[in-house]
Amino acid sequence: MMSPRPSRQEIVAAVVVLVFLVSFPWLNPGYRYLSLAITTGITSIALYGLGIQFGQAGIMSVGHAAFVGIGAYTAAILAGRLGVGFWLALPFSTLLSAVFAGLIGLPSLRVGGQHYIIITFCFCALFDLALTNGGTFTGAATGLDVGSIDPIFGLNFDQLRNSYYLVVVMLLICLLATYLMMNSSYGRTLRAIRENEPLARAVGINTALHKIGALMVSGAFAGTAGILQAYYLRHISPGLYGPFPSLYLALMVMLGGSRLLYGPLAGAIIVSFLPEILKLDPIDSRIAYGIGLLVVILLLPGGVSSGLLEIYRRLMPGRRR
Amino acid sequence: MEIFIQQLVNSLSVASVTILIGIGITLIFGLAGIVNFAHGEFLMIGGMITWFLVTSGMNFFLALVGAMIFVGALGFVAERGLFQFTLNRPMNGFIMSIGVSVILQHVVIRLFNEVQKTIPDPVGKVWVVGGVNVIAMRAVVVALTALVVAITYFGISRSRYGMALRASIADQETAELMGIPVRRYVTGVFVYGSVLAGLGGALMIALFPITPFTGSVLIIRGFAVSLIGGLGNVAGAVAGGLILGLVDGLSAGYGFPEWTDAYSLVVMIAILILRPQGLLGGTLGPRAT
Repeated sequence: MMSPRPSRQEIVAAVVVLVFLVSFPWLNPGYRYLSLAITTGITSIALYGLGIQFGQAGIMSVGHAAFVGIGAYTAAILAGRLGVGFWLALPFSTLLSAVFAGLIGLPSLRVGGQHYIIITFCFCALFDLALTNGGTFTGAATGLDVGSIDPIFGLNFDQLRNSYYLVVVMLLICLLATYLMMNSSYGRTLRAIRENEPLARAVGINTALHKIGALMVSGAFAGTAGILQAYYLRHISPGLYGPFPSLYLALMVMLGGSRLLYGPLAGAIIVSFLPEILKLDPIDSRIAYGIGLLVVILLLPGGVSSGLLEIYRRLMPGRRR
Repeated sequence: MEIFIQQLVNSLSVASVTILIGIGITLIFGLAGIVNFAHGEFLMIGGMITWFLVTSGMNFFLALVGAMIFVGALGFVAERGLFQFTLNRPMNGFIMSIGVSVILQHVVIRLFNEVQKTIPDPVGKVWVVGGVNVIAMRAVVVALTALVVAITYFGISRSRYGMALRASIADQETAELMGIPVRRYVTGVFVYGSVLAGLGGALMIALFPITPFTGSVLIIRGFAVSLIGGLGNVAGAVAGGLILGLVDGLSAGYGFPEWTDAYSLVVMIAILILRPQGLLGGTLGPRAT
């Protein structure tokens, strides 16, 4: 964990993930699976934010979809009112979500644990209400329409494959950022706060600053996911960003595991692709999803990713770091 | 005046359901230390069971008892099968309860459907009290809730079981040394809260239609009520329910009705930040992790 250089296993894992993500469209997935892969990628970008704040800093939230929503609505309102396109709106969406995440994170300095989780849930429900009652500015209950992404370097993002690669590039940036954060002194500071906050404060760590910092990074990821989602779906509405999508994000990150680098990605892939592969209808897949979560929490509290790592370590004795 | 009394009975009957769910949450969260996000689903299932029994020809009041028993059993299974394993990691219990809520909601949709369910008014009478028309069922709901509140309040504050329960919250180890079966009390509180949810669901469907999504709307009001009053504080939950009912009633009449839901959320956020122990004081719930 402390090593500044990536270990051999980490490099192998990174190459496998990279090759898989890049080669996916060449496996001839068809329209259905490719678009599913795009939404999975967008979801996992948001999940990496949640992974940082929960897995590293230990602050859970069941209001994360609100920050995705802030990113998406920022993009849609900028496009609709000022005619600002995707590339120019991207930094605004990211920044605004980060700022809101920091502001809404302020109570986390005062109240901890479940109380803060309930606060995030309330904020998310309020955000949903504000969007629904926002009149023409937020498009009320019907939502807003968004155009297409302006071509760049001659790439037309109306083609599904190109938007897939756009999402993959963004996802890789988030993965890299998460990796660098986890292996930096900043990541170690966050984990110290997670494990024992009073002790961290006692040795001179500015816990308030670091907690808000982690929440803002998390919000930035969510905002990026939001603008990508807005431009991919072409239409956004309050229902996408209310309390229930937030609950599902929290469940996905728990399912995949939040502490390991590939945990959130694993959670997103399992939740999106498994029902499709098993041909479950939406209701059955939700039930299966809930049961899967219970099993994971009772038997593998670190999520599916840590369970897989454990199996790998059992199979490969002597390679333990 | 007539309209005022009618409004009062109506608001009280609406607040009754909120108070019942609030008491369940306040006991389970504040005393058993479990945040059960599926509590709203328990209430919804209580309503659905009542609907099922009444439409298959059973008397409403028998169906109500049936719903209470069924939801109590559901609570027992959930506590023994799931939540007892996460008592020392409350965060995991919280996440698990979200999973339970998702499962229950969709199992109900699978068994019945998404369409809202109603039953005919079980009493079907209108009483004229001093020239005021009062729908009898609403008065029955208020009376039953008042009875339950009284039993719960005196049970916790006066009976020896209530004393043992409070002792196990105040100091679990000492309570165990005094021979109090703390774990059994946790299960007992969870089941009792679930029975109240079953009752709340049965009473609710006597007044309003219920959909499989009703639970997830009510849960947040339940949390608001219990947090406003202070966790583990039954009188606080009643006060919280009445405050929330009043705020809702006033906002529907005088404020901006489309923001009705927002008031309870804002009140709850403010209280969580400024007075996490609630207005009337209570436990802080399970140790924050």
